[in-house]
Amino acid sequence: MKQLARFFVLLSLVAVTARGHAQQVSVEEKELSNGMKVLMLPRKGEPTISGGWVAHVGSANERPGITGIAHLFEHMMFKGTPTLGTKDYQKDLEIITEQERVRDLMRAEEAKVRAEYRKGEVDDPYKPENKTARYKELEKQFAELIKQQREIMVKNEFDRVYTAAGGSQMNAFTSTDMTAYFITVPANRLEFWMWMESERLLRPVFREFYAERDVVFEERRMRTESTPTGRLEEMFNAMFWESHPYSWPTVGWPSDIPAISKVQADDFYGLYYQPQNITLILVGDFDTTECAKLCENYFGRIPKGKQPAPDIVTLEMKQAGEKRMNGEAEANPMVDILYHTVPFGHKDSYALKVLGQLLSTRTGRLYKGMVLGKQVANETWARQDSQKWAGSFNIGAECKDGKSPEEVEAAIYAELEKLQKETVSVEELQKVKNNFAASEYRKLANNHAIMFQLIFNEGFGDWREINAAGPKVQAVTVDDVKRVATEYFTKENRAVATYTRKPGKAAPEGGDDIFAGLSEEQKTVIRKMQSSIQSESNVEKLKEALKQIEARMGGADAKSKPFLQTYQKLVTDRINALEKGTK
Amino acid sequence: MKGTMMNRRTWLTLALAATTTTMMAAGIPDRPEKLPVKPLVYDAPNPADYRTVLKSGPVAYVVPDRELPLVNISILVRTGDYLDPKGKEGLASLTGYLLSKGGIGSKTAEELDERLAFLAAHLNSGVSDSQGTVSLNLLSKDLDEGLQILREVLTEPKFQDDKIALRKQQLLQGMKQRNDDSSGIEFRERRFLIYGDDFYLNQHPTADSINSITQADLKEFHHKWFHPGNFIVAVNGDFDRAEMTAKLEKLFGDWPYKGEKPAAVPSNVTFAKPGIYLVDKDVNQGRVSLLLPGVFRDDPDYFAITVMNDILGGGGFTSRIVNRVRSDEGLAYSAGSGFPGGVYYRGAFLAVFQSKSGTVPYATSLVKEELEKMATAPVTEEELNTSKRSYIDTFPQNFATAAQVAGTFASDELTGRYAKEPTYWKTFRDKVNAVTAEDVKRVAKKYLTTDKVAILVVGKKEDILKGHPNHAVKLTDLSKGPLIDVPLRDPLTMKPMTK
Repeated sequence: MKQLARFFVLLSLVAVTARGHAQQVSVEEKELSNGMKVLMLPRKGEPTISGGWVAHVGSANERPGITGIAHLFEHMMFKGTPTLGTKDYQKDLEIITEQERVRDLMRAEEAKVRAEYRKGEVDDPYKPENKTARYKELEKQFAELIKQQREIMVKNEFDRVYTAAGGSQMNAFTSTDMTAYFITVPANRLEFWMWMESERLLRPVFREFYAERDVVFEERRMRTESTPTGRLEEMFNAMFWESHPYSWPTVGWPSDIPAISKVQADDFYGLYYQPQNITLILVGDFDTTECAKLCENYFGRIPKGKQPAPDIVTLEMKQAGEKRMNGEAEANPMVDILYHTVPFGHKDSYALKVLGQLLSTRTGRLYKGMVLGKQVANETWARQDSQKWAGSFNIGAECKDGKSPEEVEAAIYAELEKLQKETVSVEELQKVKNNFAASEYRKLANNHAIMFQLIFNEGFGDWREINAAGPKVQAVTVDDVKRVATEYFTKENRAVATYTRKPGKAAPEGGDDIFAGLSEEQKTVIRKMQSSIQSESNVEKLKEALKQIEARMGGADAKSKPFLQTYQKLVTDRINALEKGTK
Repeated sequence: MKGTMMNRRTWLTLALAATTTTMMAAGIPDRPEKLPVKPLVYDAPNPADYRTVLKSGPVAYVVPDRELPLVNISILVRTGDYLDPKGKEGLASLTGYLLSKGGIGSKTAEELDERLAFLAAHLNSGVSDSQGTVSLNLLSKDLDEGLQILREVLTEPKFQDDKIALRKQQLLQGMKQRNDDSSGIEFRERRFLIYGDDFYLNQHPTADSINSITQADLKEFHHKWFHPGNFIVAVNGDFDRAEMTAKLEKLFGDWPYKGEKPAAVPSNVTFAKPGIYLVDKDVNQGRVSLLLPGVFRDDPDYFAITVMNDILGGGGFTSRIVNRVRSDEGLAYSAGSGFPGGVYYRGAFLAVFQSKSGTVPYATSLVKEELEKMATAPVTEEELNTSKRSYIDTFPQNFATAAQVAGTFASDELTGRYAKEPTYWKTFRDKVNAVTAEDVKRVAKKYLTTDKVAILVVGKKEDILKGHPNHAVKLTDLSKGPLIDVPLRDPLTMKPMTK
């Protein structure tokens, strides 16, 4: 039996490597005269070009006070150029300068409100009600300048000319490590793309800066503040990263976003958007010689920066002990654990990636051990996250109804311990490797997908990993897996978050069994009673009702007993809730 | 600090220099439209080139593509949630899920999962509101074994009891989250307003309906609807067309049982009365949907409507709602509109955004104003041209990959578009090009009837009704209809909860 299995392993290995060359992504790399890097991958098939560029800057390059600026900056890059976005550039510049003058005065008022807040004189420095009279006056002046600017503005013209030229999927993203901009254009629009992207890099105009700041704040509300676990996840992340700048959220702290100034954004641009800090990426239907020539002509005119963007020197402190938090959320109970591991390209990152795959998926260790085996969880996850400057391993599970986060957490450790004590079988490892090998093909589905792969790899440190990582993953041994499991999965190296359901009206009260054993009619009656019980706030009255239920319980038959028990439970729960509330 | 200041000044000086000299020197025009453009000729693929009627029953679209050693097979099935028997809501979806995950003739569920994982093959199955799908993506070297497994999945699913129990448990637990996220609440309540309580999309699974489903129910549902007479097939990837066709004949030949043809998908929708429908949820950002009755996708106005919506709010940053609510006022991150044409039942127009509680009324008033403007004043030539060029020039992307070619044509076959209008894609660009500014205004006037709008708001009632000190408008000013408090629904029974 064992022999047979091994034989198959060999067979499949041969089959994958036989066509192994097909998965090599043959990128042509060029450096422009100003130090900007260009990656070109010509590809026939669809008559499109996916073009993007990655600026090697993310929220990790920020500092307290300007958190969120890398992301805000990404938004500003769509606001146009001297010729796109306005009918009168000189006047536009004058208005922008005047706007900044008013904003400086507004900032002084904001500082006053913050001072009042520190003394406890106002409850929230950002509430519109707490603005100073002078601020409101300045706000009106500013609104007047916006009005003037709108008269000469051509709204979102940068987007419009791209769209009219057949550009699509235009977007951008910011992460802790990189900021990337991308679009797909028809194959006959290569030079058009060069014009648009080089112009916005060479001379961006940050119009509507302050309205855009509000947009970003709405983005924060949408993604973090008004989702069930957004704030708790943010808090967990901040707890996990102690010294490293990964601790603040990419979208920024709510106090920082409204305080970021245009001057700060200009500085940021000067430092991090220099040609040496940017890589252009083009995938699609074009000729590389022509493309390289156009790149030099358009992007080569951007002056080289005087000093390189600074490296991040802060290293994450080694944990001195386990970190823990518990949060109540409108969510099912779950456990989420983070271990400090290694960054992108680290020699252990491949074994950790394999480990993540061994633990996750429906045929992985966690699902088999905890969902099917011990039946303590409903859903599980595990993943190595190799970021540019540091890495982490995330592992977690949603508790099955009735199981506590403690039981689930213990079951996770039991699975990790097995990996530390016992060597995984060669077959199990091969299964995982086969999936990595197949994904080498799957990720090459179309121009856009390949461009993304290049953006990520280059943004994390080196595009060559797109070809180099595959063989390194295939070379991972069962001993490597055991070694990294032992080295990284220790108590002192982890942070644990447990989530329990916040009690409240949106949640099903009293678990799922309140209707168990009831007839349809009884259920209907209970539903009606449920609402009247919930609206009753007189504890004495409820206690009286409880006495009556108990009295009837004695003489109840088999049919009405479950009904009375449910009734009793509802009333008891309500009394408990009310009494808890008054304490 | 000093260093960064210097950098900023450096930049300013350089930027100014660039405007006057560099630009001309490099022969780069001041605007991108001045660049010469070579014409791009693109012919849409013709469905007839890929279409095969298999002797075993299904219509198949077979698209060879040798670039990567992968094969992708999708089987679309004429079935859907609308075939759920009353009291067993969730049956179609559970059948679809367990078809590939509950064991097959020769293998237990665990054995099948292990084998597929070892082959790095992706097998998926599911049933949605008006369609079922079974798909397999695998390395071409494993094709024959994959087809054998697929045959067993389709003809001999076992629906193991332990897998039924597990899935039910997961579904019941998932139900508890129905009121957790404001976006989930909005999505659900929107459908109640657009289609009415009685429409099948609003017959949600409940704890009772899920608990009542038995293995016999799953087997019966499967036998009724999963047979070649109800299948449409899309295949693409690394194979020879004739060989693949022969393999498909074998896959669907000699079916062991006889199924039924399903009834048509229901179309009995009822749109809500005008008014403001408010769900109270304690979050700091309100979610707003402005809703109006829509059209079918084969409506003669459909292309005019599509262009109109694109200008209004469908076209991202080039559209009016985004410009006004987001760029001008900074009131929302996400804002826009949609006007999809219904396939089986009437669709709806929707304009949506999210804004902090206090500015919900003001932002809503701006969106409403944009709807009214659309219906009363003509769009500019520039707006019309941008929108039309966008549809015309991005057209090739509908067929960028072999998977898209096979998938799009198979979907058209299933939904009847191919039978009704086989040249739909061939003439697509002409149909867009024919839309005029008058058409846009006419359809806006016909469909953007703001007196009929139903406004759904999910958010913190108290703060939303209070509004914002900078803006006088109140939410209740925005509809002649009443303000209706929509209660949350009990997540396990879906009955409205009284407070």
